[in-house]
This record gives sequence, structure tokens and C-alpha cells, in this order.
Amino acid sequence: MLVGMTVTEEQSRVREPKECADEMSEYLRKIAEQRCRVSFSRLFSFFAPRVKSYALRQIGNDALAMELVQDTMANVWQKAHLFNYEKGSPSTWIFTIARNIRFDMLRKQQNRKEDICSEDLWPVLFEQTADPNEADLEEQTTLNQVGEFLDKLPVKQQVVIEAIYVKGKSQQEVADELDIPLGTVKSRTRLALQRLRELLKEND
Amino acid sequence: MIKYHPEHEQLVKFVSGEADPAWSLVMSAHVDMCPFCQKEVEAISEELSHEHLSNDAHVTMDSSLNLMMNDIMDLSTASEEKEQSQTSYLELEGRRFELPRALRRFASKTDSWSRLVGKLWQAPVDLGEMGKGHFIFMEPGGSVPEHTHRGNELTLVINGEFQDGQRCYDTGDFILMDSSNTHTPVATHEDGCLVFSYVDEPLYFTSGLARLLNPFSHLFFK
Repeated sequence: MLVGMTVTEEQSRVREPKECADEMSEYLRKIAEQRCRVSFSRLFSFFAPRVKSYALRQIGNDALAMELVQDTMANVWQKAHLFNYEKGSPSTWIFTIARNIRFDMLRKQQNRKEDICSEDLWPVLFEQTADPNEADLEEQTTLNQVGEFLDKLPVKQQVVIEAIYVKGKSQQEVADELDIPLGTVKSRTRLALQRLRELLKEND
Repeated sequence: MIKYHPEHEQLVKFVSGEADPAWSLVMSAHVDMCPFCQKEVEAISEELSHEHLSNDAHVTMDSSLNLMMNDIMDLSTASEEKEQSQTSYLELEGRRFELPRALRRFASKTDSWSRLVGKLWQAPVDLGEMGKGHFIFMEPGGSVPEHTHRGNELTLVINGEFQDGQRCYDTGDFILMDSSNTHTPVATHEDGCLVFSYVDEPLYFTSGLARLLNPFSHLFFK
């Protein structure tokens, strides 16, 4: 076997999807934290040709397809910090960015960009603030554990969290029931979730 | 509890970006409210990303991609984008209704409320090229006269619940009606019911005095 063929080897090696996702996640982390050019070039070499073939199949025009690749990969470079490791794989994230850009390109061609844009429909590239609809806490630990941590929160926060997560009420309903401003419900939710996250980390 | 969701195929079209924009808007608002469909959308996105980005056949870097890569790395990090402050609620008669994220942008494009027949209120929403959507508020006991649909009627329950003789729809429910459905929605909840509705053709009223409305039905809900 020849030595010094690392590049070819790298490309032809069959990788398990999970292993590949972990590797790509690690690149995204390094791009976000250190602007790591080596990581970006690896990630780019893997995804850009795939995004291009997606774009070509969707648009069938080489120049527009390249524009789609450019916009998608520029977003990846500039907004890697918005990738959420817990919510999906790098490939899903990059696909949704490409889908958004394709949607906007088509709307623009129809001069209808103003009606509705991709970020209205699929907010992929925004900071996610604490959202009561997000149930990702449940996935990280068992409900029992959360119950224990819940007891450590101030009573006022407990009441809000229980109403929203256990009883499935909206923040507005909770505000109405407790007769407190919606803003207060939101900040209590946010503080409580922050505290719960800290507790979860400490006990991980 | 949300019981009514878009069909799986509709969600697939939505996730792939191929659904009609107005439908996409209503589906997106439903997904905002529906943990079940959030999971569906995540699963579909993953599936589609596999289908579109994971094929290993003959994808290689070429020189133009290499150039592009280097250009991109010269870009600085985009400044933090903050979600622009949007009105997140709708007001009617001193009550505030929290809107799902996808509809917030349109809150400012909502005309004022006007009273329709009986205990019904309507506020048109300018959706640009997509035409108009409507927020409709039914006071407790308020009802829309029996009607059928010439086209499709998409309804999302924003707050409260209503019945139509066959079913009861709760906050967050996504409802698609077409010419095969005739119904008489009634708000049964003591707080009334706020819905967002999009119809592509005017409704057609089918009984009693309401039939007199048909010549003017373009004024209602369209």
C-alpha cells in the first residue's frame, strides 16, 4: 500500500453518518470559536459540492446554483455560532440554510420577496432565546431529575414552569391566571430555565 | 390540546420550500404552536438533508469552488442579528392575544377590527401578492353562518376553541376545508375564539338568510 495518499484516503474512506456528523460538528465549533480555516476548508470540501449538486437539481442554472452555494457557505462561515448541537446534525442545518436561500431566490425572481421571506417561515439563522415551546430539557435528562431541580427554584418560578411545561399553558394564560404582566412570566421562565440548565450541568 | 395537524405530505412540501407561500405561512404558525409538528419538521428536515446532501456519488471540489472557499474566509463574522422587535400580540376590545411567531410580522399589517354579522369580528391582513388573510374573532356563542367553500379554507386557531357540529377545534389546531365540507362554526369557549384564516375563494353560504350574503361574500373572509 502506498503511503502519502492521505487526501485520497480521506475522500474514499466510507464514513458512518454519525461519525461524520460528529466530525463536522467539531469543525463548526472550531469555526465559531477560533475562525479555524482548516476546519472550514474541510467542512467546505465536504458540503459545498453536495450543496452545488442540490442547487443544480433545484435550479438548473449554473450561475444561480453557484450563488446558492456561495450564500449558504458564507452563512456557515459567519454564523457557525448559531448551530445548535443538540437540535440536529450539521448536514440538516446546512440543508435548511440552503433551502431558505433557494426559497428567497425563487421569490425574488418572481418579484415577491417582500410578501414573505424564508426567515418568517423557518428561522434558522437567529439567536434562539428561551422559548417555552422548546422541550429540549426533557431530552437531556429524565423528568424526575427535573422535578428534583424544580424544587430548588424560587416558588414563583416553579409555579410558572409547572403551568407552562407540565400543564401546557401558554405564557399569556399563565399571566392572566396569576394576574401578572406577560413580561414577568417571560422573565421568570427565562430565569428558571437558566437556573435549570446550570443545575443540569452541575449534575451531569 | 392540539388534535388537527397538516398532512405529512403537506409538511414535506413545506419543509422542502415547495408549498404555496400562504399555506407555508399558516403551517409555519401552526408549527410554532405545535410540539408534535416541530418534531415532525425536524425529522423531515433530517430526511431531506440526507436525500439532498448525503449522496456520495461524484461530488468533488473544482477550481471555482476552491476560489469561492477562499473568498468566503475573507469575510468577517456577520454582526449579531437581533430579532427586530415586532408586535407579538393582537388587541381587540381591551384583550391581548399572543400571536405565534410566524404571524407576528403581519400584526402591523392588520387593518382595524370591524364588526360583522352578530358576534363576529374581522380584521383583514395584507399578505401582499398572496392576497389577504383574516383574523376572525367569534365572541362566546358567536357563529359563522353555515357555509361551504369554493376553494380551500385554511384555519389556525390562535386562542380559544370552536365547534362546527362535527368536531371541536382547540388552540393551535390546523384545519383545512374545501368544497366537500359544509359547516357552521360556533365559538363554544367562554372566552370566545380567535382564528387566523386564509381562503383562496370566497365562502359560499348555504342556508337561511345568510344565503343573501353570497353576492357580497367577497366582502367577507376574502
